[in-house]
Amino acid sequence: MAHAATLEIKNLNKQYKVRGESLPVLENISLSIKPGEFVSIVGSSGCGKSTLLKLIIGLEDDYQGELLLDGSRIVGTSLERGIVFQEHRLFPWLTVEQNISIGLLNNTKFSEEEKRKSVQEHIELVGLKDFAGAYPYQLSGGMSQRVAIARALVNRPEVLLLDEPFGALDAFTRAFLQQELQRIWEKEGITMIQVTHDVEEAVYLGDRVVVMQPRPGRIKRIIDVPLPRERNRSSAEFIAIKEEVLREFSHTADASAGLIEKAASNEEYSHSNELSYQA
Amino acid sequence: MNDATRPVVHGLVNSGILQRLFLTLGGFSIRVSHAAVGLILPLGVLGLWQFAVIHEWIAVQLLPPPELVWQSLQDLWESGDLTHHLSVSLSRIGWSVLIGSSIGWLLGFSVALSKTARAYLYPSFEVFSQFPVVGWIPLLIIFLGIDEGLKIAAISIAVVVPVTVATYKGISNIPRNLLEVAQVYRFTRSQVLLRVVLPAALPSLFSGFRQGIMQAWLALVFVELLASSEGVGYLMGYARLLMQLDLVFVGVIVIGVIGVTLDLSLSFLESRLQSWLHTVHGEAK
Ligand SMILES: Nc1ncnc2c1ncn2[C@@H]1O[C@H](COP(=O)(O)OP(=O)(O)OP(=O)(O)O)[C@@H](O)[C@H]1O
Ligand SMILES: [Mg+2]
Repeated sequence: MAHAATLEIKNLNKQYKVRGESLPVLENISLSIKPGEFVSIVGSSGCGKSTLLKLIIGLEDDYQGELLLDGSRIVGTSLERGIVFQEHRLFPWLTVEQNISIGLLNNTKFSEEEKRKSVQEHIELVGLKDFAGAYPYQLSGGMSQRVAIARALVNRPEVLLLDEPFGALDAFTRAFLQQELQRIWEKEGITMIQVTHDVEEAVYLGDRVVVMQPRPGRIKRIIDVPLPRERNRSSAEFIAIKEEVLREFSHTADASAGLIEKAASNEEYSHSNELSYQA
Repeated sequence: MNDATRPVVHGLVNSGILQRLFLTLGGFSIRVSHAAVGLILPLGVLGLWQFAVIHEWIAVQLLPPPELVWQSLQDLWESGDLTHHLSVSLSRIGWSVLIGSSIGWLLGFSVALSKTARAYLYPSFEVFSQFPVVGWIPLLIIFLGIDEGLKIAAISIAVVVPVTVATYKGISNIPRNLLEVAQVYRFTRSQVLLRVVLPAALPSLFSGFRQGIMQAWLALVFVELLASSEGVGYLMGYARLLMQLDLVFVGVIVIGVIGVTLDLSLSFLESRLQSWLHTVHGEAK
């Protein structure tokens, strides 16, 4: 079992320079994540979710505030922290199997034999056994995304960040991989942070759901999901929490669109469908 | 198609390698018909040439008839002179491409990978690349004399410029996304270079190499016309002095045929390489 880590984000601020002007992207983000916790992040497009993950993974060091992992400041990347990017980012000149092996290139914990086994297991996990020798251009978007998930998992990181990993998948594969992700999370005790546009997925997988709002990106509310696992998506409690998250969401949307409260509640259902099936 | 080849063709059709071959040939014949359109002008010029000779528009000393040129080409080939001059020219190309592209790659890589190198070298390089090769020759003669060194140096300069530019551009255009992946998996500098930079930039590297060879071929003729006692360019210059214009025409034809052959084979290799690497920049988002 991986030794899971405590992640502390304190008063995090991040700006990007756009044509000489400083554009605030994240404002005053504070969040403490326990070892082995599963945190879902939802929020409208452009509210800084990917940027937040980029800071946690260690690809950006230009920020204010503190990012602590087990009490020490995050500097640069580490094999203990894995990420599935929003885009698959596979190397086009490598096969599926080689792309997944890349995750283990600098892993010193595993023997060669263990590495080989881990790669095979993960190829099977994401259901691409028949495509082990295929190149990315021969894969569909969803298949590529599954390769990227396998690449991030082979290392068995302590902390795994997922940026809309199931966005490009069909409903069946998505439900299957959600289940698998949950199984790996329970078995390995990995701390997971998943960004998603699918509110149901956020509630299904998360111990907490962080709702962000845009311009600048802030945490609007954090909603606990105190339900035992396996969760039942059609139970009354589950639906109630989902509605609660959606309400936060539609408030944000109203605020920017200037809609009145009433119209929003009428639209809630269509809104929720749109969110769940957004690719 | 003669009778001897017919059974072979039948064998191919019946064996199953096949359809693919015919698809390829189909594509080929479409290209050939495009090429055929391109042949109209040269054939027209050839006809006009023949016509002009027959009607003696221009003195035979100045415009030799096509048959004479063809005859001289054969004589030159049979005597071994053409092979000799060609091998001299081709070995000059070989050395210059080797030296020029090594320098170009070194320069391109340093400028692309190091900010310091870029700051120091690139501005001078940009000025340097504005001079045509002939512009360097007087200066090179002072330092190198007019021996083999001069020719190799001048032709190498022609190679360095396109190779450097393509290498630099190719490396700076590598998708940032992939470099971030390399960072996440803690690639060392040499892993980044070998596993990301090189494969991603390979198509540009090759295309720079190809341009370098073509530039070398152009520069070669120039340099040999100017100062040489061997080589295809020399052959033409010498023949012109002796008013053997049939030989000048032979030179033009040889240079053209080799140039076109080089270009076609390199562009074929380039397209193979690109499909082998699965068009890096198109796929990697
Ligand atoms: N490298 C960059 N330079 C300048 N601005 C950037 C950069 N990266 C992101 N931004 C800006 O930061 C904001 C947040 O971007 P980010 O990608 O984090 O959003 P997101 O919440 O992940 O959105 P989505 O749900 O669409 O993926 C956007 O306004 C974007 O324009
Ligand atoms: Mg994003």
